[in-house]
Amino acid sequence: MLRFLLNRGGQALIAAFGVVTLVFFIQRLSGDPTALLLPETATQADIDAMRVTLGLDRPLIVQYWAFLSDLLRFDLGRSFVQNADVWDIVSSRIPKTLQLAFGALVVALLIGLPMGLIMAITRGKHVSKFIMWIVLACQSMPTFWSGIMMILVFGVWLRWLPSSGTGTFAHLIMPSIALGLLSLATYARITRAAVLDELGKDYVRSARARGVRTGRLVRHHLLRNSMIPIISITALELSQLLAGAVIVETVFAWPGLGLLTVQSIAARDFVVVQTIVLMGAFVTIFANLAADILYSVVDPRVRLAGQS
Amino acid sequence: MTHILKRLLTAVAVVALASPAFARDITVDLAGEPSSLDPHLQWNPDSYYVYRNIFDNLVTRDNDGKIAPQIATSWNQISDTQLELTIREGVTFHDGSPLTPEDVVYSVKRITNPDFGSPQLGQFNQITDAKIVDGSKVMLTTAGPYPALMAQLVKLSIVPKKIVEKLGKDAFNAAPVGSGPYAFNKWSRGVSVTLNRNDAYWGAAGPFENAIFRAVPDAATRVADLLAGTADLVVSIDSDAGIQLKGNAKVKLLSAPTERVGYVGLNLDKPPFNDPDLRKAASLAIDRLGITEGLLQAGEVPMAQMASPAHFGYSPDIPAFEYDPAKAKELTAAKSELASTPATLATAPVFDQRIVQAVQQMLNDVGFNVSISMTDMPTYLNIVRSEPAENSELSFGRWSCACQDADGITYPTLHSKSRWSRVNVPEIDALLEKARVSLDVKTRQNAYTKVHQMVRENHYLLPMYQAAVLYGSSSDLEFMPTANESMFLNRMSISE
Repeated sequence: MLRFLLNRGGQALIAAFGVVTLVFFIQRLSGDPTALLLPETATQADIDAMRVTLGLDRPLIVQYWAFLSDLLRFDLGRSFVQNADVWDIVSSRIPKTLQLAFGALVVALLIGLPMGLIMAITRGKHVSKFIMWIVLACQSMPTFWSGIMMILVFGVWLRWLPSSGTGTFAHLIMPSIALGLLSLATYARITRAAVLDELGKDYVRSARARGVRTGRLVRHHLLRNSMIPIISITALELSQLLAGAVIVETVFAWPGLGLLTVQSIAARDFVVVQTIVLMGAFVTIFANLAADILYSVVDPRVRLAGQS
Repeated sequence: MTHILKRLLTAVAVVALASPAFARDITVDLAGEPSSLDPHLQWNPDSYYVYRNIFDNLVTRDNDGKIAPQIATSWNQISDTQLELTIREGVTFHDGSPLTPEDVVYSVKRITNPDFGSPQLGQFNQITDAKIVDGSKVMLTTAGPYPALMAQLVKLSIVPKKIVEKLGKDAFNAAPVGSGPYAFNKWSRGVSVTLNRNDAYWGAAGPFENAIFRAVPDAATRVADLLAGTADLVVSIDSDAGIQLKGNAKVKLLSAPTERVGYVGLNLDKPPFNDPDLRKAASLAIDRLGITEGLLQAGEVPMAQMASPAHFGYSPDIPAFEYDPAKAKELTAAKSELASTPATLATAPVFDQRIVQAVQQMLNDVGFNVSISMTDMPTYLNIVRSEPAENSELSFGRWSCACQDADGITYPTLHSKSRWSRVNVPEIDALLEKARVSLDVKTRQNAYTKVHQMVRENHYLLPMYQAAVLYGSSSDLEFMPTANESMFLNRMSISE
């Protein structure tokens, strides 16, 4: 077990190191942020002076070495643009992104699941077709459009919800729906397929033959057995939601990581981008590592395969 | 008992009605959050919209664009290189400590110190020394005669020496203390900055108790916020968004010409624009009025010089450019092979692509062979600032020096020593240098007029238009946009 852990841990570290190195160099190959920080009237001397201030005049390999050694001391650096410690900037955005992803997941599950269920049970009927039409609409509406439309209807015309920003629960509703629509469609379709699959099975037929009512059948038998594929896609959807938040965050002025990433890339704020990518890489790598470990706990064959 | 209650209620009602109805907050939607609130660091609109309400500057510009006293109550040019400023008395910072000449000297030295690394250094590095004279005055020394000094001092904010030294750069940026009409209250990273009115302000502090500057990156959302009544003032909107506002009685659209001048840069060392006839043809082909009135529609004005009426050094006598595509076609037909040399028009996403596409179309219609090269901003800056051999044949740009002086726009774009310039004409260089160091207003104006004439006759580059800026505001907000795109809360009011 220990050997397995060390093995996987080592692999994870190598992967993280690779990601960090790649991001460091690709960013610096893509251009110099100095010109963006200075007014248009800046002379070459001004630009050179700024490069010295930011440490960008040093050879790339020296910068890389400094970056790595700072990283080992958990010093992620300072934002060029915002003149602040990068961790302060990034960490303030994490809860916002999690809130939004969670909100979207709730929307997707609470609406998507029942939709899929109803579609499966009423298969071939008008209700099913009507819901399928809604699901397709959810799937095909681009987020920037559905977001703006919601703002127009609920924020400007009806004034039920705040048109943008963050702070209260009401602020979370529209962004969550906008972001959750796509996942909602996925859940609805997966649920429909899973329930249909179960509906054809013998235990359903025998239950019906015993006279079990549809409601009870669904609650006690169908839903439980259809849950397996739904749970397994939830993990995937969650990472999708975190990644897909960029547009929603922009439209709703939601101060999450996605918005920060886009703005930092545009401003060539290397340090911020590096930190976000680093964080993303660590989360992904360690989530996989955790899954692997769990897997080996559940299924001893994985662990044994590592030893043989 | 009921009697007393009635009276009480009446009293309450009277007080409620009599209390000023305009006691309210203002919410401003900006495109992004400020990069910094330390006025000596980053310098971009989203930052200075906010921090210029927290800080007083040495001098300011009134709504007509004239330089007016702020912390300096008067100034006196002692010699070619020395300017004496009288510092206002009775000004206090938000912590209650008095603003002294010492703070002024400290502020000047802080921003001009190369080790401090201010992005604004280039605007102030002509100042070589600052010292206190006669106890209440400050003497600034410049490296040479520097006519644009006052225009630059409009942007110099005064910070409290003691607090900055005690807090250090980071803590001061996170919680700035100034002497302006609004005091810093809270900065929610990525969300908003909240300011409170400074009721101890030496001047008019304005009608709002609190001001909230929010970061709303999407223009459509900013407009929606305004329409929904959750924002009172929104910036960075285009004319399409403006049309949405026009039909609504609750909001209004404000527009002002700025000191930004849009232009098409030409590479004079490369075909086809190394040929004077073809440069002329390019100018004749571009329908400037069509672009400003048909396309942009925000109040832009066609220009035939690298300056605008908002600049010192603008010459009203320079005639507008002709638009004559037929004549342009004749010129290109005479040199059709040269004219059809492939030419690249460099641009970046920050510029209005409608203009770039229109220019491309207009040039190609008369026989040029122009393609657009759209790159991100740093790459674009690299291209347009490279040597002529690597530079693109054409570039679109919009210039602002934020100083409202022709020096800040003509020198960088026309002087042979500037990286931005692809012009290399000794006579222009000489005129620009003369105007740069002369303190005589007439000498300077004449030099700039001559430069404008030469540029217009030889088409060294193609000035296009004076850009305008649009704001959306709630209909009861009185806000007068200015050419330097300032947003002073204490100059706004609420109409009854």
